[in-house]
Amino acid sequence: MSFSIQGIGAATPLGPTGLETWSGLCRGQQAPRTRFTNSLADRSYFVCRVPGKFVADAARQPRLRRSGTISLLGAAAGFDAFADAGLKPDSGLSARMAVVFAICSGGVNYTRRFYHEIVTQGANSASPLLFPETVYNAAASHLAALLGIDGQSYTLVGDSSVGLGAIHFATELLTIQPQLDRCLVVGTEEADWLLADAFASWRIATNRDQFEVYGRSGGTIFGEGAAAVLIGRTGPLAIAGSSPGLPFRSFRESESAARESFGNLRAEGLPEIIVSSANGTFADEVERKVFSEYYPAVPVYALKPAVGEALGASALLQVAVAGLALRHQQLPGTLAVGSKLPSVNRKTRSISAYQALVTSVGFNHQVNALKLCLTQSPY
Amino acid sequence: MWIMQGIDRPNRVLVTGLGVISPLGSDASANLRSLLDGQDSVAPVTSFDVTKTRCKTAGQIPDAWLKNGLPTGRVADRLHRGARMAALALREACQSAGGANPELMVIGTTGGGMSYGELFYRRLLTTRSRKGFAKLVGNYTPQKPIQDALELNQLRIPTQILTNACSSGSNAIGHGFELIRHGLRTCVVCGGYEPLCELVFVGFDSLQAATAEKIRPFDKNRTGLVLGEGAAFLILESEKSAAQRGAVALAEMVGYGVSTDTYHLTQPHPSGIGPRLAMQRALESGDMEAAGIDYVNAHGTATIFNDATEGAAISDVCGQVPVSSTKSMMGHSLGAAGAIEAAFCVLALREQFLPPNINFLEPDPTWKFEVVSNHSRAARVNHVLSNSIGFGGTNATLILRRV
Repeated sequence: MSFSIQGIGAATPLGPTGLETWSGLCRGQQAPRTRFTNSLADRSYFVCRVPGKFVADAARQPRLRRSGTISLLGAAAGFDAFADAGLKPDSGLSARMAVVFAICSGGVNYTRRFYHEIVTQGANSASPLLFPETVYNAAASHLAALLGIDGQSYTLVGDSSVGLGAIHFATELLTIQPQLDRCLVVGTEEADWLLADAFASWRIATNRDQFEVYGRSGGTIFGEGAAAVLIGRTGPLAIAGSSPGLPFRSFRESESAARESFGNLRAEGLPEIIVSSANGTFADEVERKVFSEYYPAVPVYALKPAVGEALGASALLQVAVAGLALRHQQLPGTLAVGSKLPSVNRKTRSISAYQALVTSVGFNHQVNALKLCLTQSPY
Repeated sequence: MWIMQGIDRPNRVLVTGLGVISPLGSDASANLRSLLDGQDSVAPVTSFDVTKTRCKTAGQIPDAWLKNGLPTGRVADRLHRGARMAALALREACQSAGGANPELMVIGTTGGGMSYGELFYRRLLTTRSRKGFAKLVGNYTPQKPIQDALELNQLRIPTQILTNACSSGSNAIGHGFELIRHGLRTCVVCGGYEPLCELVFVGFDSLQAATAEKIRPFDKNRTGLVLGEGAAFLILESEKSAAQRGAVALAEMVGYGVSTDTYHLTQPHPSGIGPRLAMQRALESGDMEAAGIDYVNAHGTATIFNDATEGAAISDVCGQVPVSSTKSMMGHSLGAAGAIEAAFCVLALREQFLPPNINFLEPDPTWKFEVVSNHSRAARVNHVLSNSIGFGGTNATLILRRV
């Protein structure tokens, strides 16, 4: 059974749609860094935020009037994927469609606010308006409601690789359920000072306003955003390989897992481009070693220096960019690159590519890879 | 029916292993005894302050149970309570399956290691030192306790973690079932885990869904839920795989149905359309009639809304079937509930009894079905149906058969 990406959507710090994000990446834009401060501590962090105007349409939906940013972003990206596919969500489509969400930290803003009320004012003061939006599947529920889906709605949780696992999960649903025509896969994440502070204490996040990939691993900058792909049974952008991912426990194990995960997809031909998950952490070194061994001449693009590490949305955004790169036969230049991986693509350029590999090394759980393949000539 | 689903002869899916830890017992046999006895394991909350909440009780697993054969020392210090539950239930499931080789884990949860996140936040408010923060951050994510449970059981397999609120555990089992039935996998370990945490406890209290009284599912005068915790795993395996290694089947999984009720984030549609669709779809999936169901293990949270809508749906779909909510004995374990209740269903099929719905005082005349009130009883049980209903409108139904 084969599956294809029929529509690509996004809402990122660089644009309210996938195409505008793509244009920004190709122009070498870097999302503005907003300084995050909090009265809880005198530590500040930089983050790539999505301007409110980018999700204004979603925020006008009555269902989303009290929802968190994570749900607004997910809805915006989901509707954009429909538009990109030339489809309008309606009951005819939704009856034969499933929704799969990929989340990492979830509605952390509402969660922090809710728990802050418990700790500082007492449990009897905690707002019942906040609690429902803290639930991991709130974003999926909202989008399912907006699309009128009464069937399958799933939320997968994991680290920054979870988006690739969600796409694989969607292909499983489409295999199991022949009555489904499509599955909308959405990765979404919102930023919060608490998240940055927590990950800084774990040495994953930096408090600087820049980070470089494939260089000195000094930690990442968080971003927020969402990306979505509408997966169907036909179309020119095929999913040539996917998996639920592989777990790892240590740096050494992450390398062997990456070797297995990325290497498994070599059998069907070498990719012409790689869209990597490099984010200025240990993950860069894992990818560098495997790319140098298996794909030494394949140009690598890392988008996180431009938009930040958006956790649950990251891998979906990588897939969106890989799809758009194949569609437009163009590969953006990676910003802020160190010297450790010579094959990194540094300037936006035209390519002649049919296959793209998307890789992800998550920060504490899984590695995963996915291959996209153009089944028709782009010319 | 099978042809409609695109497969001529689907694989039979057998339950060949079972592990469960809950407030009712530290393993399957202890849980069985408690189910037969109709034990009430709900007790005052001890792990956080409940002086300002309306509800002050929950079903909790004693700490002593969570040390059984698990490492001590530095490794033990970092293990989240959820990791311990999951590790113990997984160990029992693998042992009872006797040499099964699961290729994949599908697991549900809603909070994961949330209590570590709570501790992180409290320390953030009270101290400038960051000592110990990394441990809390590194272990609070829902995937980390599962990583630990896998490692403690010497398993290194891909994992799909579903967070479909309170239907997560059933969704995990249902998805594993479908993967095997359609030949995508031969052996999957699936289940759920959920440790009790303050944030979620207060959340339900703030919504006035939690009760200050006893939890009385399907009682006319029910007043709400109490929370619980636990973990359960089923080893699901294709008939062929089980036969090849001479495994003993504990039960057969025959049906799975899901629906999404988009009425409201936390309230079900009053008509009961959500659970009704899930049950109908599970019956269709199992190619069977509702009349063939001998027992319904209901979601039965004892909230006004849940029981009203689920009760209406069960009445409509299954009529005069015996129904109980085992949450009456141990509280609602959220993302683990569907898995724990599926394990209870396997025990009911194996031992031929109906688990009780305790604390039951007065029937609600609205419904046609019979509540298995207060005491378990022996019965001929060939097919059981288990419902799970969650925030976000997720509904999942599993059907299991005696072998």
